[in-house]
Amino acid sequence: MSRILDAGLEELSLLLHKMGELTYEAVSLSLGSCIEGRGSHKQVHELSDAVVSLSDKVESKTFELIARYQPVASDLRTIKSYMKISNDFSRYGRYAFDVSYICERLGGLCNCEEWVQKYIEEMSEKVLGMVRLSIDALRNHDHNLAKTISESERQVDQMYLTYIDKIVELSHTTNKCTVSSILVIRYLERIADHATYICESVVYLVTGEKVSLG
Amino acid sequence: MSIRIETKNLSVSFGEAKAIDGISMRIFANKVTAVIGPSGCGKSTFIRCLNRMNEIVGKAKTSGEALLDGQNIYSEDFDVVELRRRVGMIFQKPNPFPKSIFDNVAYGPRIHGTHDQESLRRIVETNLKKAVLWEEVSDRLNKSAMDLSGGQQQRLCIARALAVEPEVILMDEPCSALDPIATAKIESLIRTLSQEYTVIIVTHNMQQASRVADYTTFLYLGKLVEFGQTKDVFENPKSEITEKYITGEFG
Repeated sequence: MSRILDAGLEELSLLLHKMGELTYEAVSLSLGSCIEGRGSHKQVHELSDAVVSLSDKVESKTFELIARYQPVASDLRTIKSYMKISNDFSRYGRYAFDVSYICERLGGLCNCEEWVQKYIEEMSEKVLGMVRLSIDALRNHDHNLAKTISESERQVDQMYLTYIDKIVELSHTTNKCTVSSILVIRYLERIADHATYICESVVYLVTGEKVSLG
Repeated sequence: MSIRIETKNLSVSFGEAKAIDGISMRIFANKVTAVIGPSGCGKSTFIRCLNRMNEIVGKAKTSGEALLDGQNIYSEDFDVVELRRRVGMIFQKPNPFPKSIFDNVAYGPRIHGTHDQESLRRIVETNLKKAVLWEEVSDRLNKSAMDLSGGQQQRLCIARALAVEPEVILMDEPCSALDPIATAKIESLIRTLSQEYTVIIVTHNMQQASRVADYTTFLYLGKLVEFGQTKDVFENPKSEITEKYITGEFG
């Protein structure tokens, strides 16, 4: 027999899946258009707003479930994790918005040197892979998949630091490109962090184990 | 943390039926321990072992040990009257005597030999204050206890239990007959009492256990399934049966 709480948890789960897909679309669109020099800020802005609106719904629903059903054990862990993940998804949306904004204002990365474009393209692919992994791990409550994010997180952190060192070393890069690429790469690094946090939440949700995957 | 009560392989049978089966557990001094579990799992039988109340039921047979401050309360030379003074009990339904409020609280001390009126007056006042009832009844101590509300009667029973200076207070679903306001007062009182006494509470209300208890133990089919800090039991239970019970999948 299903419990009254189960319907609420299912509703929360659907909201989060929707958030996940919207944020993936926002991050993917903003990165792709920034690298190729296409304007996408308006679309990304709309997607980001939609994510914020869903985040409000998640918050409202979680408070309702806590107030009405006083969840415990795995139910409590699920709700706590969903609240945290909802915040992480909002941050995906926000960084997607920031990427599209900076690229619209300073011009896309297509104006940068080829190696910069390639570097950021490679890092974007890695980060998008992490975003996808976090969404899939959540959808399937797959803590084993979640734990595999550590290696990508390490690689992205390393790419971020290497890029900063390189850009300082190469003083001939144009100012606009320097600024936009550093900001984009910083946002990428933060998106990767949130993907890792989501995976940590998935592990906690399923096992009760608090792990650090970063 | 000091241990007030320890049970070792404690079992109770009523005729052929085993009500609790080999429970070994430690109860820490000045902490609230909640005993939870589905109906018939042995919760009440377990706490009744701790002041030998089961002996009142003719067919009850107890084995194993229950140590109070290191002494086995089931040893032949343990004084049962003294045990029940040291380990008081509060029941599901408030059960004041059909006497005045004053006489209810003074009843135990009188039995134990205090007859001086001034001493009794002091004991009554002190313990009604501890039970957070004094403000409500100080001007009608000679009125019948039966005229009090259910919540007030339960707090009077707590004052009556405290008047004989116990070390441990057993509570068997003390709020199940009370409304939410009276329940909140008893729960707040339980937390205050734990500064001075060791409290063991049987409850069917999971939220009550999580609100008032420092430790929680889960019994199932007479056996101890899980014991731990309340936060851990309710956030991340180790046993799948505990998980299913507290999340309402069965029970």
